[in-house]
Amino acid sequence: MTKRRPYQSILLYSAVIVLVIYLTAPFLWLIIMSISPSTDLTQKPLRWIPSAIDLSSYESLLTMGINTRGELFLHALVNSLTTALFAVFVSLVVTIPASWVLSRYPGKKSLVLSAAIFTFMLPPIAYALPLYRMLSRLGWLNNSFSLALVYCTIVLPFCTWLIKENIDTIPYDLEESAIIDGASVARRITSVVMPLLLPALGTVALLALIMAWDEYFYALLFTSSKEAITLPVVIANLASGRQSSYNLIAAGGVIASAPPVIIGMLFQRALVRGLVQGGVKE
Amino acid sequence: MAKRETRRLSLLLAPMIIIMGAVIGWPLIQTVLLSLTDSDLMNLTKPAFVGLTNFTKALKNQGYLDSLKVSSLFALVVVLSEMVLGTSVALLLNEPFKGRSLVRGLLILPWAVPTTVNAMMWRLIYNPEYGALNSLLFQLGIIDQYVSWIGTADKALYSVMFADIWKNFSLVAMIALAALQTLPESQIEAATIDGANGWQRFRFITLPHLIPSLQVALVLRIIETVKVFDIIYVMTRGGPANKTRSASIFVYQEAFTNSRMGSGAAYAIIMVCLIMILIAFYLKGLSKKE
Repeated sequence: MTKRRPYQSILLYSAVIVLVIYLTAPFLWLIIMSISPSTDLTQKPLRWIPSAIDLSSYESLLTMGINTRGELFLHALVNSLTTALFAVFVSLVVTIPASWVLSRYPGKKSLVLSAAIFTFMLPPIAYALPLYRMLSRLGWLNNSFSLALVYCTIVLPFCTWLIKENIDTIPYDLEESAIIDGASVARRITSVVMPLLLPALGTVALLALIMAWDEYFYALLFTSSKEAITLPVVIANLASGRQSSYNLIAAGGVIASAPPVIIGMLFQRALVRGLVQGGVKE
Repeated sequence: MAKRETRRLSLLLAPMIIIMGAVIGWPLIQTVLLSLTDSDLMNLTKPAFVGLTNFTKALKNQGYLDSLKVSSLFALVVVLSEMVLGTSVALLLNEPFKGRSLVRGLLILPWAVPTTVNAMMWRLIYNPEYGALNSLLFQLGIIDQYVSWIGTADKALYSVMFADIWKNFSLVAMIALAALQTLPESQIEAATIDGANGWQRFRFITLPHLIPSLQVALVLRIIETVKVFDIIYVMTRGGPANKTRSASIFVYQEAFTNSRMGSGAAYAIIMVCLIMILIAFYLKGLSKKE
């Protein structure tokens, strides 16, 4: 690498500083708001550094009590987790064998794969109306498990696409030797493909979890109270409410962001590789 | 292939096909059927078949056409900005400098923040009375009075776009950066020896290497932006004066706020057709290249 001239270094480091500010300032401000006393946030001009550290907003969101904010928030936290985990679990159980068939017998079942990719592209609004009527007739509205099944419309095509691409990279020769040993299809999947697929599967699962955690549209339509309501809905309601306790809204946002941000920071490389793999063919 | 094996393969596919059929295929067919009726969410009497009336009405509805324009403009501006910003940031983070791995680690932060949190966060930042943006710009002397960023018709959509770009440019940057890291140093060196300047090295070596990855990012982002709902709905509910009402929000309001399921379905189907045309163009572009 050629040595940089001084002015080039200055340019480079200024650009980096601008980038770091751009990347972090909005979220940093969210954190600062969440620990500020609420009176700090309604001053003109704004008080950038909190007059005192005030954790009462976290306390009120995370304390359980009948008919309190904390009750709804904590329920939503658990519901979000249940819904996301269940949706991803169902999707993976169903997708792994299917993706194996799609990978090993291309052409034959390519229609299924095209269908999966196609649905990935459709707006949720295209299924939302009949789904709503169906769930309401069955009495399944406001239920975490039916919401998780609906989340499969988003998670399942995504998993199919990525897992199939990953199975493609596992050499078929390995399975052939298992066939010679008389292994059944089930054995070939569980003892030959699965161990090699495991790291990629972890990545796909994390991406799918983040996706489900993020979902707002269906949750807005299909849930209404603490039995099934998810965090994004609670946060959106907080944001559009008339109340002005901005520190409380901010704290809700920080808590809801914590799981994906931590997962993201820990597994950044794997997550990006997983996302890119789906589309880039050498 | 043996018949037994075919049956076994179908068995492996069956659970996925059943779930996809139940939550995707069947509802999609139902949406098409709904679009031909005057079905109403509140009215439980049997809906009447109305043929293509909903569709002819839809194509004449100025509100709907405007919402299609909002979605297209949103997709165009947001995706273009993200591609340019994302690629530039990836190039920057590919240069060696002190603390590079830390900055690279921070890159995932915006992408990891949930969409609704992002919307709520920017809503607070844009707040016309106590928002950080107003306070900052005022203290710096850039504005002399507070601005209602998402409350004024001509600024709202761009303010929402800015918030979306903040979150999602980082995905493009991460994808581009991952691709840059697989570019062999030797190629750049060889070009330098051959006398290629910075721009030529970028244009003829780096950019061609980046294109396949950028295409993935482009497709992912276009798919997401043309059906945009969450970020706009949380920030503005489609207002002010419907200036930020995207097609998805329009359909949602028609079907669930006005409880007109039938025409809502027709609007949704038209949207699906437009997206399919977009995909067809993309696939055609791909096959031409191969």
